[in-house]
Amino acid sequence: MIEINGKACSFEKGDTVLDVARANDIDIPTLCHLKDTTPTGACRICLVEADGANNLIASCDTPACEGMKVQTHSERVVAARKGILELLLSSGDHYCLLCESNGDCELQDLSIEYKADGRCLPETGRKSSVEDSDALILRDFSKCIHCGRCVKACNEIQMHDVLSFGHEEGSPKIFAGDNETLRESDCRFCGECVQACPTGALLEKKALGKGKVRDEQKVRTTCPYCGVGCQLWLHVRDDKIVKVTGVDEGLPNKGRTCVKGRFGYDFIYNKDRLTKPLIKQKNGEYKEAEWDETLDLIASKFQTFIEESGADSVAGISCARSINEDNYQMQKLFRTVFRTNNIDHCART
Amino acid sequence: MDIIAKEGGKDSAIDSVIFSTWGGHKFDGRSAEGIEKSQKAEQIPFLPEYFKQNSPLKALIGWDGIVLRDENVNIVGLCNSYMKALSEASCGKCSPCPGGTRAMSKLLDRLCQGKGYKEDLFHLKTIAETVMETSRCGIGKQGPGAILHALDNFWEAFEDAVDNGVKDETDYFSKRTAPCTEACPIHLDIPGYVDHIRQGAFDKSLDLIRSRLPLPGVLGRTCFRPCESNCRRANMDEPIAIKALKRFVADEALKKGRTPPHEMNISEKTGHIAIIGAGPAGLSAAYHLAMRGHKVTMFEMLQEPGGMSAVGIPDYRLPRDVLRYEAQLIRDMGVTINYGVRIGRDVLLTDLERDYDAVFISVGAQDSTPMRVEGENEGYLGYIPGIRYLRGINDGYDPYPEGRRVAVVGGGNVAFDCVRTALRHDKDDVSIIYRRTRDEMPADSMEIHEAEEEGANYHFLTAPVRIVADKHGRVTGLECRKMELGEPDASGRRRPVPVEGSEFIFECDTVVSAIGQRVDLSALVKFEGVETTDWNTIVVDPVTRQSTHPKLFAAGDCELGPDSLITAAAGGLRGALSIDSFINGKPLDYTTEDHFEALMKHLKLYDENETMDQVAKKARESFEVLDVEKRKRSWDEVEKSFTRAEAMAEAKRCLHCYRVATVAV
Ligand SMILES: Cc1cc2nc3c(=O)[nH]c(=O)nc-3n(C[C@H](O)[C@H](O)[C@H](O)COP(=O)(O)OP(=O)(O)OC[C@H]3O[C@@H](n4cnc5c(N)ncnc54)[C@H](O)[C@@H]3O)c2cc1C
Ligand code: SF4
Ligand code: SF4
Ligand code: SF4
Ligand code: SF4
Ligand code: SF4
Repeated sequence: MIEINGKACSFEKGDTVLDVARANDIDIPTLCHLKDTTPTGACRICLVEADGANNLIASCDTPACEGMKVQTHSERVVAARKGILELLLSSGDHYCLLCESNGDCELQDLSIEYKADGRCLPETGRKSSVEDSDALILRDFSKCIHCGRCVKACNEIQMHDVLSFGHEEGSPKIFAGDNETLRESDCRFCGECVQACPTGALLEKKALGKGKVRDEQKVRTTCPYCGVGCQLWLHVRDDKIVKVTGVDEGLPNKGRTCVKGRFGYDFIYNKDRLTKPLIKQKNGEYKEAEWDETLDLIASKFQTFIEESGADSVAGISCARSINEDNYQMQKLFRTVFRTNNIDHCART
Repeated sequence: MDIIAKEGGKDSAIDSVIFSTWGGHKFDGRSAEGIEKSQKAEQIPFLPEYFKQNSPLKALIGWDGIVLRDENVNIVGLCNSYMKALSEASCGKCSPCPGGTRAMSKLLDRLCQGKGYKEDLFHLKTIAETVMETSRCGIGKQGPGAILHALDNFWEAFEDAVDNGVKDETDYFSKRTAPCTEACPIHLDIPGYVDHIRQGAFDKSLDLIRSRLPLPGVLGRTCFRPCESNCRRANMDEPIAIKALKRFVADEALKKGRTPPHEMNISEKTGHIAIIGAGPAGLSAAYHLAMRGHKVTMFEMLQEPGGMSAVGIPDYRLPRDVLRYEAQLIRDMGVTINYGVRIGRDVLLTDLERDYDAVFISVGAQDSTPMRVEGENEGYLGYIPGIRYLRGINDGYDPYPEGRRVAVVGGGNVAFDCVRTALRHDKDDVSIIYRRTRDEMPADSMEIHEAEEEGANYHFLTAPVRIVADKHGRVTGLECRKMELGEPDASGRRRPVPVEGSEFIFECDTVVSAIGQRVDLSALVKFEGVETTDWNTIVVDPVTRQSTHPKLFAAGDCELGPDSLITAAAGGLRGALSIDSFINGKPLDYTTEDHFEALMKHLKLYDENETMDQVAKKARESFEVLDVEKRKRSWDEVEKSFTRAEAMAEAKRCLHCYRVATVAV
C-alpha cells in the first residue's frame, strides 16, 4: 500500500507512483510521458512531494514502495509546476493566437490550469524557426519543449530510429538523422511523432488553416488500406477530413498507424474519383451507366460463362476499402451461389 | 619546467579568503573582524594560492558555493562567466534546466553590459529557485545555488551593475566534471557515456569513451574502478556498474562488427615517434599520437600486444581476442608494432634517440619482488615468481607440471590470478599464504569470494620464512611463521608482528611468490641524462611525462611502479599530448585541464557522508556469472556482459552528477 493525498492505494511490483495514481483516478499532469514507452523523467511536470525526501520526485520514474506517502498537489508542488511551465513558455515562441494547436495543446491546457505566465521571464528561445521541407509534416522548433515524446514515438513505438536529442547553437534541438530535414533523413512519414507531440511543434500540414479545433468532430473508423484493420479517428471540420490519428485504446494498432493510414486519404476528395459505374462500348469507349443496368449486365455475362465453361471460369476480388460485412458477403456469393473458390481480397495480394 | 599551482603557505591561503560559502559554511570577512584563524580555517575550503604559475586564484564559483580572495573580482562578472558555462553544460534532456540556465545567462550578460533592469535581479532569484527545485540532475539541481549565494550576500553589487554595468578585466576558466569522472585517472565522461546507454545510443557511448581510451573492452573487464568508489549513487543504494557498462558497449560493437571511427585531428607538424613496450601505456600513447597524424613505430619484446594485460591477466578474466581486436584497431590507424624486438639487446635506446623525433618509454614492471626468505635464490625446482608463472600459463604451458600442491604467497590481485590459474590446472591443493587477515587483503573482494568458491584455501596471519627443498633441489614445503596484528602502519593497515616460536612447515611442492612487481631498467642501458629513482623507476614530470632528457618521455608502471591499466593508459594519453607539443616546438606548459585537475583534488567532489533521498532506491542490475562448477576448470570468461535491457536499466540509475566550476585568475 502507498498513500496518495491521504488515500490508501494498492500497487504491484514495478508500478511507478504515476501508474498507481492514474489507476486510482488521481490526477498527476505529465508532458513527457508517452504510453507504452520507457519513462524519461524529462519534463518534471509530474513532480510530487514524498514524505522523507528532501527533493521533489518525478512520479513517472519512481517505483512505488511500501509505505510511501505522496502529495500530488501540495503548495510546493504546484509552485514548482508553475515555475517549470513559465520557463517552458519563455524559452519558446508561444503566441497561441497564431498557433495551429491553439485549443489542442497540452502545454496550453496546463498553463491555464496552473496560471503560468511566461511573459514574466525574459525570452530565451528560438524565434519562429520552421522546417517546411516536405508535403506532410511541419516542424516548428520555436514551439518545441524538448519533452522527447516524438523521440520515443519514433524509436520505441515505430522503431524507425530517426529522431534523437541534439544541440544546435548551444540550445537543445530534436534532430532528425544527423540534424537533417525529415525529407533528407530516413523518416518514413508515419506521423507517429506528430501524434505524440503535446504542442504545436509538429503539425500535419494538410490540416493547416482548415478551421478551429473546437469545431472539430471525431469519427471512428477502420483504416481502408490493408488487412490489419487499424482503428482510426477521422478529424472532421466542415464535413471534410483534416487529419487522421490512431485510436489509442483500439486494437490491433493501439494508436499507431503507417503513412498510408494517416496521410493517404486525399483520394476521397479527388475530382477524378469514380462515383458511377462505367460500361465499355463496342468502340472501346466507357459510358456512364446506372447501377441496375450494370448489375444486370454482369449477372447475364456470368451466367453465360458458368453455363459454357463451368463455375471456375469466374473469379472475384473484393476490396479492402469496403467494410468487413461486404467482404464477407462477397465470398459467400462466390462460394455458395457461384460455387467456386476463386475469391480473393486485395489486401492479401 | 613550471610546477603545478605553486602551493603557497597554508597561512597565506587562509588569510587571503575574504568571503566563502563553499561546502555549506559561510564565512564573511566583512563582518568577521577579529575572527580566530583556526575558526576561519574550519569555515573555508583549503585551496592552493595559485591556479597557474604566477596567476593567483582570485575567486572560485561552482556547485558548492563561492570563494572570494581578491576584492577586485566583480561578483556579477564572476556569476556571468559561471552561468554561461553552466548553460553550455546543460544537456537539454529535462525541461527546466536548459531554458532556465539560458535565461539566467542572458540576464547576467545584460546586467554586465549595463543593459539590465532592477527586476532582472528578482527574475534571477526565481529562475534559480525553480531550476534547482525541479531539474533532474546535478547541473540544474545544484548549479544555480551559487547565484543565490551571490544575490543574498552582494545585492549592492548587482544593483550597481544595473546602473553602471561591469568593467571586468579578470580571466575566467570553467570546467565541467563529475565525481566519477574526476576519480577516473583518464577522466572519462562517465555521466555522458552512461546517459547514451540509457537512451539506447550504444555507438555514441562507445565513441565517447574511445575519444580518450582506446581499450574499452579491456578496461571494461579489468579496471580497478576508482570511479565506482566515488559514485554518489552509493550513498543511496549501490554505485553504478560503470565498468560493466563500458564493457557492454565495447562488446556490443564487437558483436555487431562495427568499426568505431577515429576522430583524426592532425597537428601542424608531425614526426616519427618510437614507443618501447606495447602495454596499455604504449598502446594508448600510440593511439593518441596516430590520431594527431604522427608516424608511430612500436617495439615489443614479446609476440603479443597488451603487456601485463596479455601475459599477466589470465584469459578467464580477459579473453585474448578482445585485446587483440582493440590493438588491431590501433594498427589500422597506421601504427607499426615490431614484435620480438628487445630494446637494450636487439636495438639500443641510443639508436632510437638518434633516429626518432621522440621516444616514449613504457616498459612496465616486469620483475617479481623478491620475498627475502631463505632458499629463494637457490634455483629450487618448484619455486616460481608469480609473473613468470602467469606468463608461462598465458603462453600456453604449466611452468611446473610436476607440482600438485601449490602455495601462493601474497594477498593482492596478482596472487589471486596465480591461485585461480593454478586451480584451472587441476592441482590437488591450492593455498594462499598471507601475512594479515582477509580484511586487509588488497585484492578485489569479488576475486577473494570467487576464488574461495572455486576451492582455494586461505591461510591468514601466516608469513613465509624459508623454502624447504629435498636433496635434488625440489621444493617440499614452505616454512612459515604465525603472525598477529599490531599497530597500524603508514598505510593505515595494522602491521603484522611475528609470534615467537610459532614456526611450522607448510607442505607443498610449488611455491609461487606474488607479493609485488618491480621495474627492471637494466635492459635499457644507462642513458646519459635520464634520471631514475631509488625504486628504479624513471623520473618524469608527473604531468607532462617528460624525463630529464627532453626527447624521452615515460609513463605507466615504469614511471609509477606497479600500478594499474587505467593509470598506464592515462599516462599514455598525457605523454602523447606532450610529445605532440614537443614536436610542434611548443613549450610543454601545463594546460588549463592540468590546472583544473590539480584544483579539483582540493574540492570534495564525492562526499561519502552526503545523505540522499532514499525513496527512489533501486539496486544495481546484476550480470550473469559463470556457474562455479563450470568455471572451476575452464578458461571461459567468468563474468558475462549485460543484456541490452539490463544495461539500459542500469544506466538509468545514474544520477548524472555533473558539476561546473569557474575560477577567476
Ligand atoms: C597478474 C597481474 C594482474 C593484473 N591485474 C590488473 C587488473 O585487473 N586491473 C588493473 O588495472 N591492473 C592490473 N594489473 C596491473 C597492470 O597490468 C599494469 O599496471 C599495466 O599493465 C601497466 O602498463 P604498462 O603499459 O606500463 O606496462 P606493461 O603492461 O607491463 O607493458 C610493458 C610492455 O613493454 C614490454 N617491454 C618491456 N621491456 C621491454 C624492452 N626492453 N624492449 C621491448 N619491449 C619491452 C613488455 O613486454 C610489455 O609488453 C595486473 C598486473 C599483473 C602482473
Ligand atoms: S504550442 Fe501550445 S502553448 Fe505553444 S503557442 Fe501553440 S498552442 Fe500555444
Ligand atoms: S514520421 Fe515516423 S519515421 Fe518520421 S520522424 Fe516521425 S515517427 Fe519517425
Ligand atoms: S517536437 Fe513535440 S514531441 Fe518532440 S520534443 Fe518537441 S514538443 Fe516534444
Ligand atoms: S543537465 Fe541535468 S538538469 Fe540540465 S537539462 Fe540535463 S538532465 Fe536536466
Ligand atoms: S551516479 Fe552517475 S554521474 Fe553520479 S557519480 Fe555515479 S556514475 Fe557518476
